Amino acid sequence: MQFQTRHFGTIEYDSDSVFEFPAGLPGFEDEREFVALEQPHIRPIVFLQSLRRAELCFITLPVQSIEPAYRLSLSAEDLRLLELPEERQPEIGSQVLCLAIVAVAEGQPPTANLLAPVVVNLANRRAVQAIMSDSGYSHRHPLPVAPREEHACSSCAEGSARPL
Amino acid sequence: MLIVRRRVGQAIVIGEQVEIHVLEIQAGRVKLGVVAPKEIPVVRAEVKLTRQQNLEAAGGATPQKAAELAQRLRSRAAGAQTRSAGQQESPEQGPCSEISGNA
Repeated sequence: MQFQTRHFGTIEYDSDSVFEFPAGLPGFEDEREFVALEQPHIRPIVFLQSLRRAELCFITLPVQSIEPAYRLSLSAEDLRLLELPEERQPEIGSQVLCLAIVAVAEGQPPTANLLAPVVVNLANRRAVQAIMSDSGYSHRHPLPVAPREEHACSSCAEGSARPL
Repeated sequence: MLIVRRRVGQAIVIGEQVEIHVLEIQAGRVKLGVVAPKEIPVVRAEVKLTRQQNLEAAGGATPQKAAELAQRLRSRAAGAQTRSAGQQESPEQGPCSEISGNA
């Protein structure tokens, strides 16, 4: 199958690789289908691209690349949405894919939402942005990045703001 | 902030149409019932924070920003491991020319 995106041109994907969000995401309740896109040179970043809105994508990172000891605490409701057993938390990697949505606003340090990770059941590709109220994680977890090297590469820093 | 003490079974009323009932209290947790008209959305505060964060994240998500983020994550990781050559710390040419070219 094919979909025309704004940022990645026309992408090809299998129906098996579509993540289905039965409840959408907060702020994007009508967006039910996404695919994960990877670019080798920016690993471990994963893009979540909407299959309905060409311009909508999220930059995400696997939670364990940010917090190696990351622990899930999914609500019973979210486990039901994912069609996972409610008695225990799923294992990241073998049972579920777990991605944190990253915000990169101009002039602000990048942060990841560890409070509400995107969790995908690898067995059926059902997905939910799970708000883990009692987890203690922040919705604005600062990422460990080097400062912008504006002196060394001024075109990087100014490029996005400068009309060409 | 208005602070009100309430017991189980009691409620507070906000305006003419919103009622918040205290249904149950356990150690460190309280169960509330909210009565509100349909046009007033009622969500947990974390849902609102995540919604705002998602809108912000979607607004800034471009391949260029992702490449810059990857570069900064790598520079930081490399800087933490080896404090050796300045050559390693300087950004690669690839992402730079790509960003200025597409801007």
